[in-house]
Amino acid sequence: MNVLNASSQPVTPRPQTDHTAVRIKGLGKDFRHPWTRRVKTAVHSVTLDIPDGAVFGLLGPNGAGKTTTLRMLLGLLPPTRGEAFLLGRPAGTPESRQDVGFLPENPYFYDHLTALEFLEFSGELAGMGRGAARTQAKELVERVGLAHAAKTRMRKYSKGMLQRAGLAHALMGRPRLLFLDEPMSGLDPIGRREVVDLIRELKSTGTTVVFSSHILHDVEVLCDRVAILRAGRLLASGTMDALLEGGRGGAEIVLRPRGVLALPPEFLGVTIEPFGGRVRLSLTDASRASALVAWLAAHGHEVIALTPERQSLEDLFMDMFQDAHEVGGDPERSAQDERRQA
Amino acid sequence: MSAILAVARGTFREAVRDRVMFLVLGFGVLLLVMTRILSPIAMGEGDRITVDLGLSTIGLLGVVIVALVGTGLVHKELERRTIHVVLSRPVSRASYLIGKWAGLAGTMAAAVFAMGAILVVVAATMRGPESIGPVAQAVFLIALANALLAALAVLFSSLSTPVLSVVYTLGLYATGWWSSDLRDFAAQMPGAVGTLVRGISYVIPNLDLFNLRPQVAHLQTAPTLQLALAIGYAAAYAAAVLALAVVAFERRELK
Repeated sequence: MNVLNASSQPVTPRPQTDHTAVRIKGLGKDFRHPWTRRVKTAVHSVTLDIPDGAVFGLLGPNGAGKTTTLRMLLGLLPPTRGEAFLLGRPAGTPESRQDVGFLPENPYFYDHLTALEFLEFSGELAGMGRGAARTQAKELVERVGLAHAAKTRMRKYSKGMLQRAGLAHALMGRPRLLFLDEPMSGLDPIGRREVVDLIRELKSTGTTVVFSSHILHDVEVLCDRVAILRAGRLLASGTMDALLEGGRGGAEIVLRPRGVLALPPEFLGVTIEPFGGRVRLSLTDASRASALVAWLAAHGHEVIALTPERQSLEDLFMDMFQDAHEVGGDPERSAQDERRQA
Repeated sequence: MSAILAVARGTFREAVRDRVMFLVLGFGVLLLVMTRILSPIAMGEGDRITVDLGLSTIGLLGVVIVALVGTGLVHKELERRTIHVVLSRPVSRASYLIGKWAGLAGTMAAAVFAMGAILVVVAATMRGPESIGPVAQAVFLIALANALLAALAVLFSSLSTPVLSVVYTLGLYATGWWSSDLRDFAAQMPGAVGTLVRGISYVIPNLDLFNLRPQVAHLQTAPTLQLALAIGYAAAYAAAVLALAVVAFERRELK
């Protein structure tokens, strides 16, 4: 049985939505120091839509406002401004969390409960009956690789085991919307791979997954869409293809040359790199690629591959954070700048 | 309602497995045995004193449980952020706090009733079966008073640090036994000061309502009206304190 689909709890009718799982409108959070009364803006006005069934990556360096945004969506922190909707329901209300699962960053659970007891507890909180919660808890400890320690009290768990228990907790009740705050944190490479597989499986069942991560490779591999935050501001958001489509602007051609390859002057600047009987041509301007391919074909060279040089998420991320001082963005400084400008 | 029960059950499970609970219970049973062993030196009053000391021991250990477990209850969850796990589910903050209180009160009541059962047996063997009713009533009211105190512990725990919560809870427990005296004292004070002291005497819990030790000493059961009054007072006081805790906690930012 597929545990991600299995649930014996009644399905709560959900308000009609326009295929948007999460709608964020101008959401922002200020923190006021209790003594000095100084205001720190952790999140400026963020506006964002996350479609149903998407795997959405929330990116940004430490202090970017990712966790604060997630906590506002879950009602753990009241927003200073703006509003948000989860599956069509106003965020912050218990009803909005009806079909929602959450894995907190660096999760810590109850010392004296076993994973099975904790998951049963979690299922009951999600509105499941005790019997159904127990059954699903047993399935999920298997699914996240904790079956061997299911009856061990969680105070004896390692960080990775707690992370796995947290994932199982987030999945209890078969949520349709999952928030995972740094889901790969504390996991070894095998564990990370398992989480990647799990998220793919969830995607195939139509679950919307929103996760924050520092590991750009995982985000690039998994996400359809991303949002990049810095110092509480939304720098960019959209589909992965749209964000990376501009790319580096270059292209790469691999060919099997016939005789000597000598390019005419109009292709000046193309790098020629022979390797294993083949030649790799690198162009900085992809728009010239088709003309070059035509020229190569006309001169009897066999073109094996033409690949536009795609920008990686890491390239995009680093471009956005060129200034080393900006990495780890300081919300307080941003707020001060803002006040100064005002 | 199911969320409250789930939180209560989780709190109870977590609390009863804490080593502190075993220590407190072990200490309680030891004290009960000690009072029984030492009763012959009480010049013929040994039986009465055994039961009286037993009731005091049970009351005190109930308070110790509330203070040790209860005052850190919410604060610990805030510090470790386990509260995020609960409140990210469709659970209101009110349900969470009421569930926490119910779990704590249940833990304390289980300990009080376990020790009370031992005392009932001891009393029945020493003073005859007619002591069973009065002792059982007294134990019940001890549990009720401590449940009221548990509501205060939850309030302080959701607003303050464990150390301060212990101080506030024990402070109110200590003054709670003197609330009637405080009212008499206020009557002799002039003007505004008298009004203020009288006001304070009504705000602090009136724990004297829950004291049945004089009746137990004379093997008398408490009148139904007194029991009803104690139950009503405990329910109203705990509800008011929990309502206050909910109002304060609703605004709290869970960073």
